[in-house]
This record gives sequence, C-alpha cells and structure tokens, in this order.
Amino acid sequence: MDSSTPFAHASEAEMARILDFYAVRWSYEPETFPILWNLDGDVVESFSPDFYLPDLDLYLEMTTLRQKLVRKKNRKLRRLRELYPGINIKLFYERDFRALMLKYGKVALADGLSGTLGQVAAPYGDPAPTAAIRATDETDETDTPAEADSGDIPAATVSTATTSAARRRNRRLARAAAGAP
Amino acid sequence: MTRAPDLHADVGEILLTEEQIATRVAELGRRISEDYAGRPVTLVSVLKGSLPFMADLMRAIDLPLRIDLMEVSSYGGGATESSGLVRILKDLSATIEREDVLIVEDIIDTGLTLNYLVRYLRGKNPATLRICTLLDKPARRLVEIPVDYIGFTIPDQFVVGYGLDYGELYRNLRFVGVLKPEVYAGPAEAEAAGV
Repeated sequence: MDSSTPFAHASEAEMARILDFYAVRWSYEPETFPILWNLDGDVVESFSPDFYLPDLDLYLEMTTLRQKLVRKKNRKLRRLRELYPGINIKLFYERDFRALMLKYGKVALADGLSGTLGQVAAPYGDPAPTAAIRATDETDETDTPAEADSGDIPAATVSTATTSAARRRNRRLARAAAGAP
Repeated sequence: MTRAPDLHADVGEILLTEEQIATRVAELGRRISEDYAGRPVTLVSVLKGSLPFMADLMRAIDLPLRIDLMEVSSYGGGATESSGLVRILKDLSATIEREDVLIVEDIIDTGLTLNYLVRYLRGKNPATLRICTLLDKPARRLVEIPVDYIGFTIPDQFVVGYGLDYGELYRNLRFVGVLKPEVYAGPAEAEAAGV
C-alpha cells in the first residue's frame, strides 16, 4: 500500500497497518456519498467512509471522538444507509478501537491515538506517534459541507478530492493546535 | 509500578463455569459426530488459545479423526509489527488435500486472523473446510465469516481462561471469566472503572 496516504487521524493509520498485517486490501476514502441536497439540488452534505475493503465489499468508518460528535456521525450513517441500502458499512467506535488495541497488547498506544490526541496522523509507514498535538476537543472529525467532499462533488468522485479534504482538515487542526484563529 | 498478576483475584466475573463449558463441548462433539456421519475429519487447532478446547472437543467427537496444530503471529506480537505481515509460525504437519477439515478456534472477534487462516487453508484444497469456535464475540466483527459451530455467543467484554490469555497469563483457568479493567487499565479504562 502507498505509504504516503494522508490519514486524517493516527487511529486510521494504525487500522491500515492492522489491515495490511492480515493481508486485507483497503483503500482510503475512495468514495464520497452525497447525503443531503438543498432545494436547488445541490449537495450540501456528504459522507466519505474512511476505508473500503474490496475483498469484503465493506466500508469502514472510524470515529474516536466524543459522544456528542459520535451522535452526529451516527446520524450521517443512518442517512447513508437510507439512501444507499446496498452499502455494507461498519462504524468503528473509540471503544472498538481501544478493544482492538487491548487485544493486541497496545492499550497505552490507544491513549495516544484516541480522540483529539490522535488527530495528527503519523506517516502511514511509521509507528504511531508517541506525542501528539493537542487540538480543540470541539473539532468535528466528521465530514462537513465546508470541506471538500461537499456540494459540487459528484458521488463518483474519488481519492484526489477526499485526500485533499484530509490535508485541509489536518492543516485546520494544526492551526488550532498552534492557537491560530 | 508493575502490578503483580493474581490468577483468580484479577477475574471480576465468571462468565462460563467449568460445568457449562463441559456440557456445551459435549453437545458440540455430538453435533459434529452426526454431521460428519462416520467420515474421518481433521481438526486444525490454532495455537495457543484453543488448546484446552481442542483437547476436550476431540474427545467429545466420536469419529475417526486426525489433529494438527497451527500458529500464526498476532499483530503487536513482535518488534517489527508496525510494518509487518502475519506469519505462519507453525504450519500444518501433514497435507489436508481432499480432507474434511474443521478449524477449532477459541474465540472469534474481529475475524481478521480467521479470515487469513481460512484463505490460507483453502489454498491447500481440502474437501471441506468448516469452523468451530468455543466463543463468538459478534460485537467486534470486522470480517463476516460463516461459522458452523459456536459454543457460546458472548458479550463485548475482555475474557480470559480456558485457553484465553492476557499477556500470556490466565490460560490455565478452568472457567471463562471477565478480566477486571484495572488489570489492563490505560487511563481511559481506569477512569471508567473508577480505579
């Protein structure tokens, strides 16, 4: 797999390493699904699952932030399932990620990768960071209309747009961490 | 300071007693004996966790059977895990081509290891390949794999005993129990558990 994949969150990079370890093929944010349109028919909200596992025909969405934000993601997921009933998608919560780390004897690592502490992803090929930048806990890791996977991007749009979104998200978080407006 | 393990005190709750396990293993053995109806079967146990289950299950099956053992590396189990690939640490000792093969697992949670194993064993052209697990934890499933024989479906808790370990300990418990969070607590678990 491409070691330059710009993961938005360190837990996603760790998940990619786990999938690679077990020889499960994946692609990162390969598709964006519109889930809400305005009266003019423009897409105002969309959803880009973090991973697609082609051998399993499964989308995987990871969320490691606070419950309030998880609820927002749950809502988007329900909407996605309503609109695209043929899609097989699983939401991987923080507790799931922690349990996975526990299973693999990496509980301490889970503390560094969960929530906002993990917002700055290590390069995919490298081990997870031992120190992560603190960002505001109010930051929403979910896709928002303000980000790239929004209105003017059709459903078929793939990785170039979504990886740009991840890069913008990382820059925004880095600015927040540095105290910039 | 490192916490010293205490085999029994570290278990907060007994999920499955020795008697419950024995009863269920006997039932599974009967079902497997009926399903294969006199055909020889090869049981493939996945080390290390499934050893006690394998030992009990094979004696509950009234069929001509062979056993074999496999061990695969686990993510996080080695120094180079971050960029590594799963490895077969111990391969089958005999061919399974055109054999009826039953994989014997201790627990299925994500299904990642089992998925790898099934693909690997299918490549060896067995006549049939089925799966038997003592414990199924569907809440954690990432890879959906049809499981033919399930001992118990358990809740989403970290369990040890009857072969299952935490840090290679607790395998020798005769029951399956839930490990106390403070045994493995990171800050989040400790806070949630009030420790």
